[in-house]
Amino acid sequence: MIGATALLGKYSGRYGVRALAVTAAFAGFLSASSALQAAENYDVDASIKIGSLYEPQNLDNIAGAGQGINEAFNSNVYEGLFRLTDAGSVEKVLASDYKVSDDGLTYTFTLQPNVKFHSGDPLTAKDVKFSIERVVGPDSKSSRKKSLEPITSIETPDDNTVVVKLSSRSISLPYNLSYVWIVNDAAKDLTSGEDGTGPYKLEDWRRGSTLSLKRSDSYWGEKPTNGEVVFNYFTDATALNNALLTGAVDVITGVQSPDSLAQFKDNAEFTVSEGKSTTKELFAFNDRVEPFNDVKVRKAIARAIDKKKLLNSIWGEYGTLIGSFVPPTDPWYVDLNGVDPYDVDSAKALLAEAGHADGFTFTLDTPNYDPHPIVAQFIKSELAKVGITVNINVITANEWYTKIYKAHDFQATLQEHVNHRDIVFYGNPDFYWGYNNPKVVDLIKSAETSTTTDEQTAKLTEANRTIAEDAASSWLYLYPQIVISKANVSGYPVNGLNSQFFAYGIKKSAD
Amino acid sequence: MSAADELTPAVVTAARKPRWSPTFTIGLILVGIHVAIALLTLFWTPYDPTSTTGGRLEPPSFIHWAGTDRLGRDFFTQIMIGSRIALIVGAGAVAIGAAIGVTIGLLAAFATRFLDDALAATLDILIAFPTLLLAMLVVAASEGASLWSAILALGIAMSAIVARLTRILAKRVLQNDYITASRTSGTSWPGVVVRHVLPNIWPTLSVNFALQFGIAVIAESSLSYLGLGAPPPNASWGRLLQEAQGTVYTAPIGAIAPGIALVTLVIGINLLADGLRDIGDPTRRISR
Repeated sequence: MIGATALLGKYSGRYGVRALAVTAAFAGFLSASSALQAAENYDVDASIKIGSLYEPQNLDNIAGAGQGINEAFNSNVYEGLFRLTDAGSVEKVLASDYKVSDDGLTYTFTLQPNVKFHSGDPLTAKDVKFSIERVVGPDSKSSRKKSLEPITSIETPDDNTVVVKLSSRSISLPYNLSYVWIVNDAAKDLTSGEDGTGPYKLEDWRRGSTLSLKRSDSYWGEKPTNGEVVFNYFTDATALNNALLTGAVDVITGVQSPDSLAQFKDNAEFTVSEGKSTTKELFAFNDRVEPFNDVKVRKAIARAIDKKKLLNSIWGEYGTLIGSFVPPTDPWYVDLNGVDPYDVDSAKALLAEAGHADGFTFTLDTPNYDPHPIVAQFIKSELAKVGITVNINVITANEWYTKIYKAHDFQATLQEHVNHRDIVFYGNPDFYWGYNNPKVVDLIKSAETSTTTDEQTAKLTEANRTIAEDAASSWLYLYPQIVISKANVSGYPVNGLNSQFFAYGIKKSAD
Repeated sequence: MSAADELTPAVVTAARKPRWSPTFTIGLILVGIHVAIALLTLFWTPYDPTSTTGGRLEPPSFIHWAGTDRLGRDFFTQIMIGSRIALIVGAGAVAIGAAIGVTIGLLAAFATRFLDDALAATLDILIAFPTLLLAMLVVAASEGASLWSAILALGIAMSAIVARLTRILAKRVLQNDYITASRTSGTSWPGVVVRHVLPNIWPTLSVNFALQFGIAVIAESSLSYLGLGAPPPNASWGRLLQEAQGTVYTAPIGAIAPGIALVTLVIGINLLADGLRDIGDPTRRISR
């Protein structure tokens, strides 16, 4: 299941992003324009209009609602025991505290007191048990179902305590629980209504048009800095941009190409922020088949492609080069751009060593939506220089899912991988790309059963380094996350990790 | 008899000595330019079409006449190759459409009442079916989209229109007394087709082929725009338009240039078809 939502990026979260408070340069960039102007005298009852391309199919994130529901509801309408912040860290929300037993198999969570659902019911341990069981249950289409598999039982000794027992250690449990909405166990209809604990409650949903959230006056935590949030849905990026230009919306959540930025960039009425996404453009080989089962061939290809030039072609001055599958916001990031740098001569030498001095021919299955066709053409022209012929076969997102993801019937493909902390895919030899290195499988498996986060980080860093050295795939670049707002609006998340868009901190001044 | 004697030579002379037709000439020039460019690309283009050395979205200049695309490829080179692809698709689709359409049309014209009705109904249904949808089905049925699947799809879609026209025209010819006379004097049915039917329906058919050529060029662009035509890096105008969509504000030339190329070729073909009709159809000329 993780794949269905995780991989079909077109339908799911393409704009996972993360706060870059970590790097000084980035922090400077952020604060520069937007934050200062609007922050001081903002309107506490302002209505914030958000423009988005991702209307949810329904209102329940375990019912295949798509990434749009996470954008609109995560931490706005529903809260979890934990939250994945825009900076990529995990913080406690409905869990006020938790304890882990020495063997790591029992987690005891203490709940925030005095929390009420929007319907007025108080939050109890039973609601938490109900909510977790909903996600791991047979009807759940949640992409996180698999990562919660170690849970064997959930007990509720009293109204304020939840005890979760595991079959094996799972150091990522709090992180994984950040994907679990806590819903009222008495709620009837969660696909067209809601009953959460968040700072906003659902006011109105007009399918195909808008979804309105109103500030909840009984919210247990800090009050939002605005009165109302309205998500306006568009099906076309140009219409979305025009809506911002004409003032129909205050902020748009994801920009798809750098060229539409020209209208906003040198305009004092707008603020353009660049965050780091978790969306990686991947040139994946089928590591099971000739010639891609040869590490030398894969390394040669990695070295034959001028990724810097490619990134510039697609994103202009935006985006980041990553030498591996791990973006700088994951704790196990290391800069691996130097492992297989652009070097045509050494690419040729490696090909010769692998017995392909005269090159070879392969088919690149290319999804038919931007940017893949243009990336495919770039790869074709780059690999032609080392004697490799690429046949581009354009396929639809559905074909990609059946032919490549399910049937593994391909030589090489392109795909954008959107998820946060998804290096675990390389620990699964049955995954579509078929990378099978027992060392990596073991590292990823044992990382999850680590006793400390340091140990987990060390193991995943090692796994990260190994996949890069094996050139398991060719990681072309990391998408930027670009959010554009009117200049009088600030306080929105810039990274939108896992397509979340926390609205409670958005401030709008009277201009 | 004497009136006929006077009329006949006039018609014959006119048919042998076509009047100068401005539409035909302009059409011929426009199509001629595209044909010349298409032939030229077989031997020479300003740049290697896959060379990415130009820089991202350069504006038009003396170095790159139509600027460059996102990958830094020379856009004028792409447009030139687009001419070749458009003409190949047009010619290929017309060839397939004509071969299938004329055969089925003649068959229907000669067939018994029942078979004729059945064929006519089938053709009406096929014509009512949107060309693009039919083309998408053919592309979906074949192993991935290619230039040839697009040509085949458009050819099949076109054949229904050609078949219906052929059937009506051939039926009209077959009603004539001289067909009966020819049959009575021992000419076989194939002989009748070659000697009487085809020469009589050819002028109208050829005009129709020319019009269909233009429609095929546009349809191929639509298919490529949707990603169902020639796969990249074939520089089909439709695909160039599609790729230029995201950059239309910053580099409008990317949308304008393939647009101009497409329009000039299709207008040229339509003018050519008009001119052909003026020249080839004696009834129209006399009526002027």
